[in-house]
Amino acid sequence: MLLSPAFLDELRGIVGADGLVLSTEGRMTYECDMHTFYKGAPDAVVLPLRAEQVQAVAKLCRRARVPIVPRGSGTGLIGGAMAAQGGVMVSMTRMAAVLDVDLPNRCATVQPGLINLWLTHAVAERGWFFAPDPSSQMVSSIGGNVSTNAGGPHCLKYGITTNHVLGLEMVTGAGELVRLGGKAAERPGYDLTGAAVGSEGTFGLVTAITVRLTHTSEAVKTALAAFRSMVDASEAVSAIIAAGMIPAALEMLDEAIIKAINAGTGAGYPEGAGAVLLIELDGPRAEVETQAERAAAICRERGAISVSVARDDAERALLWKGRKEAAGAVGRLTAAYLLQDAVVPRSKLPQIMRELVAIAERHRLLIANVFHAGDGNLHPLICYDDRNPDELARAKQANEELLHACIALGGSVTGEHGIGADKAQSLPLQFAESDLNFMYRLRGAFDPDRLMNPGKLLPTHPACGEGFRPARPVLPAGTWV
Amino acid sequence: MSVTTRALGDALRARLGPDGATDDPAARAAAAVDGCQPSWVARPRSLEETARVLALAHDEGLVVLPRGSGSALALGTPPERADVVLDLARLDAILEYSPDDLTVTVQAGVTAGALAAALAGPRQTLPLDPPGWSRRTLGGIAATAASGPLRLRYGAMRDLLLGVRFIQADGVSTWGGAKVVKSVTGYDVPKLLVGSLGTLGVIGELTLRLHPLPETEATGLLLLRGPEAAQEMVSRIVDSTLQPNRLEWLDAGALAACGLPAAPAALAISVGSVAPAVRAQHAAIAEAAAAAGTRVETVGPAFWRAYDRVLAETGNTVLRVATLTSRLSAAMAAIRSALGADAAMVVTGCAPLGLLRVAVDGSEPTRLGQAIERLRGFVAEDEGGVVIERAPVALRTRVDPWGSVPAGALELMRTLKREFDPGRSLNPGRFVGGI
Repeated sequence: MLLSPAFLDELRGIVGADGLVLSTEGRMTYECDMHTFYKGAPDAVVLPLRAEQVQAVAKLCRRARVPIVPRGSGTGLIGGAMAAQGGVMVSMTRMAAVLDVDLPNRCATVQPGLINLWLTHAVAERGWFFAPDPSSQMVSSIGGNVSTNAGGPHCLKYGITTNHVLGLEMVTGAGELVRLGGKAAERPGYDLTGAAVGSEGTFGLVTAITVRLTHTSEAVKTALAAFRSMVDASEAVSAIIAAGMIPAALEMLDEAIIKAINAGTGAGYPEGAGAVLLIELDGPRAEVETQAERAAAICRERGAISVSVARDDAERALLWKGRKEAAGAVGRLTAAYLLQDAVVPRSKLPQIMRELVAIAERHRLLIANVFHAGDGNLHPLICYDDRNPDELARAKQANEELLHACIALGGSVTGEHGIGADKAQSLPLQFAESDLNFMYRLRGAFDPDRLMNPGKLLPTHPACGEGFRPARPVLPAGTWV
Repeated sequence: MSVTTRALGDALRARLGPDGATDDPAARAAAAVDGCQPSWVARPRSLEETARVLALAHDEGLVVLPRGSGSALALGTPPERADVVLDLARLDAILEYSPDDLTVTVQAGVTAGALAAALAGPRQTLPLDPPGWSRRTLGGIAATAASGPLRLRYGAMRDLLLGVRFIQADGVSTWGGAKVVKSVTGYDVPKLLVGSLGTLGVIGELTLRLHPLPETEATGLLLLRGPEAAQEMVSRIVDSTLQPNRLEWLDAGALAACGLPAAPAALAISVGSVAPAVRAQHAAIAEAAAAAGTRVETVGPAFWRAYDRVLAETGNTVLRVATLTSRLSAAMAAIRSALGADAAMVVTGCAPLGLLRVAVDGSEPTRLGQAIERLRGFVAEDEGGVVIERAPVALRTRVDPWGSVPAGALELMRTLKREFDPGRSLNPGRFVGGI
């Protein structure tokens, strides 16, 4: 869309010339997030420094009916931080300060552009950390984590981002600067903070975040168990949970990933294993030691080929090394892949693993797996050759079939990555028209003109449009009124 | 109202069957909310029936007051009108329990006690223990966002509610969230429903995250010289690797009400884990107590039952004070000063979350009202609040039971109410800002 010179002058007046990107090559660097299928360069990028500037930009765009796309570090995996319809992108990279650390009250207030891990770095020496730990935590921003309600390996025990957000300051789509929640554990009224986390920028622009900090544990114990097959490893996962343990993390890697990792970093995962289960327990020392032994025993009972428990931090780091570098190792397997984020009830893991193998065979594709087994959150990497259109078509088909299989088992479309542009059209798999319509109207309360990150999260669907009326209850036949 | 009481009865019975709705005077009196008697009491047996009642109310402009066990009806502004009390107690089925997934789906009228009994076999728990929890319905706990001591370790309903089916004001059945423990598909609608007091929709089914029951649990009581000593001990525990599952603050009144030894202040702390970890953590707590010049008295599991009973039953007036952990002793002084040095009161609360609960037997609404406003002034600095959890009608008509909500947030809340209940049939006027 064409932005008028007068509009651009006003933008420049708000954020200053150094906070405005208009050049073609400058805007191109903002054309996609990590899901590079979806591209759309904004017509202008602003880099505000203060909430007041964000609000002024929002008001200006609303007046001119120009779409706004918020952006953090651009490390999302869903085509969320790209401007398919053009408009103004608001990049939060210059709003990256820690505003307040309040350890006696176990919280901190930060600006949205702050890198996730930097917050932990700011409080680690004093024994605290910020629990949500997406694999991107070295580069992803806390604003982005709030936007997608990001998870991570340790959310099995600690919960996802929303469980750690106490309050938000945000500029709504209506251009209002509002404070939702805060340091205190309870506020009267609707939990608007809870509703806004995970709204992927479709409610407004978050300008400050108050988060809960967590005290580090007395002890951490990490074990690695190798199994012949994914099915065996999946059954061990269920058995560990059934034994009354909630490990901090319970991660699984399949044969393809193990080989790729071993070829690269030399993490030394057992050769010939069909699956590796990484088990991490944290908490009071006596609890961790008792439970690590039990988890190891369960793995042996379930046919583990080998079980090793890290004896010190160095060994622990080595066990994690492979897992952390899994995404990079995939590069050794394939030039291109589709990444799923679907969830199944964890008791259905053995079943979905069998279906996954069948789907891969049917479409003659390599599907590599590295995922959060403890909460049933799959991350199959469907590998294809991007020079071969037929293979891409098969990969897409396999992707769809796998998603449907997960939903059929009572699962969910996305566990931690979010919806964005990528999965919006999949929402009707999981939600009825009345559910979609409720979400559409909920968004309208925050963003009446629907200019905030348009085309993301909500599908193109009659239920997500004005004037739609969901089915109302009917009286059974034979009743009189 | 476009239907007469008689015609309304016919319409309700057409939707619920002959025994699904009653205008029997005794039943109506029993269902009165703050003295406001409904014309009819509806008792649906299914979500479909619930939806039909709400559709009727929506079309005819009726006021509906949903209720669960009735334990929290004194929360909120007294209603001005009640056409139908929607009694959800017959929605009492546990629909789907999957121990391997640590999830359960229940109807809204299932009590927390009934669910606890069903989970006992596989040694699992829904760790929600608001005062009087065992008799309270899960729909009611969700609608009122009620929480108890275990919130420290496990979070509150907002953290445990994975999915929710609710009936909108116009009778449309709607689902939000997911049935799996991890999902970010779509907006987090369950969070919006928790604590909304039925003003956006009536909760019909809940999918909840469960936890394994700790193998062993032990509770200790630390008697302390006063609020400052208690404050110091709380800070010490918060900034440590101890992981208690409860850490409750008790004032002198609370100790007396629980039949415990007298002291100016105390902390009740419980640890749940495997036996060696429980022993080790208790030793660490004993060490911290010794350093503070006191010791840990071990109390049995019966303590938490007695504590729950005291919380549920003490005081005709109960205030929920949300402050900050670091300001607990200052809040205690503010409470004492606001209520008067001679006032008999029982103060308890989840100390590491900065939550205090003040129970008094108030007979002077004017004085109590002033005390509440003073306390609100104190917590305003923390962006906290003082909510009247229960009180006689006279107090709740004099003082806003919720306190103020910042203007921007309140406007969003009003917009949501207008969007989802434009006819104002669901609990009108009982929530914040006249919602």
